[in-house]
Amino acid sequence: MATLSRRTFLASLASAVPLALFVRRAHAAAVIHLQSNPATLDALAECVLPSSLGKTGASNDAAAFREWGSGYHEGAELNHGYGTSRLRVTGPTPVTRWTAQLDELDAAARTKHQRAFRELSIADRQTIVRSALAGQRLDRLPAVADAKHVAVAVLAHFYDSSAAADLCYESKIGKATCRPLSASARKPLPMLKVSER
Amino acid sequence: MTRRAIECDVCIVGSGITAAMVADRLSRTTSAKIVVVEAGDETVPHAQRAAMREQFLRYGQNPWGRDHIDGYEIDGPLQSRSMQVGGLAMHWGGVTPRFSPEDFKQHSLFGVGSDWPISYDDLQPFYQEAEELMGVAGEQGPPDLDPRSKPFPMPALPLTYNLELLKKWAAAAGIATWSQPSAKNSVAYRGRAQCCRNDTCTPVCPIGAKYSPDFTWDALRRANKISLVTRTLVRRLVLDASGKRISHAVAVDRDHPNDPIELHAKVFVVAAGYTWSSHLLLLSAQTRAPNGVANASGLVGKYLAGHRNVQGYVDLPLRLYPGINEQHSLVTKQFMRPKEGSTYIRHDLRIWESSVGKTPRLTDDSGAVMLGDAVLDDWRGRTRTGTARVRSYYDVIPDRASELTLDATRKNEWGDPLPKLEFRDAPESIALRAETETSIKTVFGSMAKAGRGNLLRTSVDNFQDHPSGGCRMGNDAASSVVDSWGRAHDHENMFVVGAPTCVSGSCANATLTFCALSLRAAHEMERGLPRRGS
Repeated sequence: MATLSRRTFLASLASAVPLALFVRRAHAAAVIHLQSNPATLDALAECVLPSSLGKTGASNDAAAFREWGSGYHEGAELNHGYGTSRLRVTGPTPVTRWTAQLDELDAAARTKHQRAFRELSIADRQTIVRSALAGQRLDRLPAVADAKHVAVAVLAHFYDSSAAADLCYESKIGKATCRPLSASARKPLPMLKVSER
Repeated sequence: MTRRAIECDVCIVGSGITAAMVADRLSRTTSAKIVVVEAGDETVPHAQRAAMREQFLRYGQNPWGRDHIDGYEIDGPLQSRSMQVGGLAMHWGGVTPRFSPEDFKQHSLFGVGSDWPISYDDLQPFYQEAEELMGVAGEQGPPDLDPRSKPFPMPALPLTYNLELLKKWAAAAGIATWSQPSAKNSVAYRGRAQCCRNDTCTPVCPIGAKYSPDFTWDALRRANKISLVTRTLVRRLVLDASGKRISHAVAVDRDHPNDPIELHAKVFVVAAGYTWSSHLLLLSAQTRAPNGVANASGLVGKYLAGHRNVQGYVDLPLRLYPGINEQHSLVTKQFMRPKEGSTYIRHDLRIWESSVGKTPRLTDDSGAVMLGDAVLDDWRGRTRTGTARVRSYYDVIPDRASELTLDATRKNEWGDPLPKLEFRDAPESIALRAETETSIKTVFGSMAKAGRGNLLRTSVDNFQDHPSGGCRMGNDAASSVVDSWGRAHDHENMFVVGAPTCVSGSCANATLTFCALSLRAAHEMERGLPRRGS
């Protein structure tokens, strides 16, 4: 009986394991990578989100983004459309792509500035992000999962939030949160400015 | 193979909103043994809905779990793939206007389409009953356009700050509007919470402030007033030797497909919506009914009805705050009564707050990428004015060839052909379509002008919403499938209820009308059943 080389053995083992299992493992590894190396994502959030959030606010939003990533399920049934019998499911995990892009941002920073992405000024970080986005079709913010680049995903995640709408309108609208019905008739209350808090 | 038999007085096929209405009424007024048969699964329990809503908000996931049967990809515009306890009304918008008196007399008043065999006045008590069962919050519109004999069971949902501004805008354009009636609790109602504007009525209310049929089923089951059999698909209705009565229904238990179930009942109620009701009747073709049960007229599956909409967005010099309660709207029936001698153009008009054109973006007008404060500053700059969404459903007269047929090319896993749907306008609607849509767009344009705003864009949805028909009611057995009560002309112990029995689709959301028709049918069914307490 012929013996298998290590390489042949691993290749045959890989072909025997379902692709879905590999994808799940890649997603899990990417989520762990995001959670165990938060600095680059935090630095990205700080440079693409509004400065009024501050370092802490941006970091909090990055943490919420990581949680979003860890909760993503590939192949989950999407909400039914009306007028069609076609069912749709969530696509391949975007988290693996995004973690790779975070590494690329860091590599670009080291090439250009000999420092980590997180150590750069906000302006320098933005320049690197702009370079990374060059050539992409951008206009409206996509759904988070559809973002081709992690910088767009971070923006889409934040701007889809109730907090972002309140910040824009400088009012406590509380979009899609449980709020007293009776309060709907009045103009939303203004947000307190930082100096008034 | 083991054959299992279930005996009852009333067998209801389907567990959607119209089935719930029938079961609720019969359980109050009779002591009949009621069995409800649902092809789908149990729905997601109320306690899990907040978590499911989160998954919907975050990832767009369906909040209703596995609410479909595999392999039911059909040809044509199916309203929804949902098949579960509660049916489509688990994720409906809860919008509940009544039809208007003239809907029932289209031919007499306007010379188009067909008259219904009943009038608005015949249906009015059942509208009221449906509103009370569901809990409808509403405001009386102008009585000549929006007649009522009793007040709504709940005060109207309050107009939001945005809607108050938009109401004044509409008034300046000469359009009187009011709060759209909704099956959402403006106050706590029958053990269910007051609405707190979670604003995801469609697809899921996390607190039960919006009525959904599971509340009725839960109450009836707790009180042991009905049996609800899930994962059981009724495949055939079998006639007795006379051909005048349904003898029994044959169903498949999806968990034990080799053990068929027979359901024997005095009364059979087909409450499976506009698609699956006609589908079941056509599937039930047999020697004494070669074209399908209740189909001596050849009209089962015909005259599918609905309404199309024209939608527009108007940029207005108003500071609006989208998100206060986006799913609530203003409504008017001002355009639902064509003037005598004028062209038959008939539509509703609704107005919502909207964020269209006011969402954040990544590139500025020159195409340059924005990051950091620039995105927020750009967004703020564009939200100094507001957007209103305006939409009109307009009447579409159904053609006979607007139909559901059996699709010989697609079968479900039990070998039954799936339905095929094709909607068609009657010739008078085809002739009026362009003028109708232009007329509606002109109204939108006038509104924009009156508010010193701009009509940003308009679109026409080719899909016919709130579909109905397929088993239309009428007094003449040659031109209809069921009588005015929903009883099949051909079979004395079979009723079809709700959407399939509609003669036309009106130009307003139709679910409340489906419910009222079902309650009226249940009222007739009572005559042959033991009265409660007797």
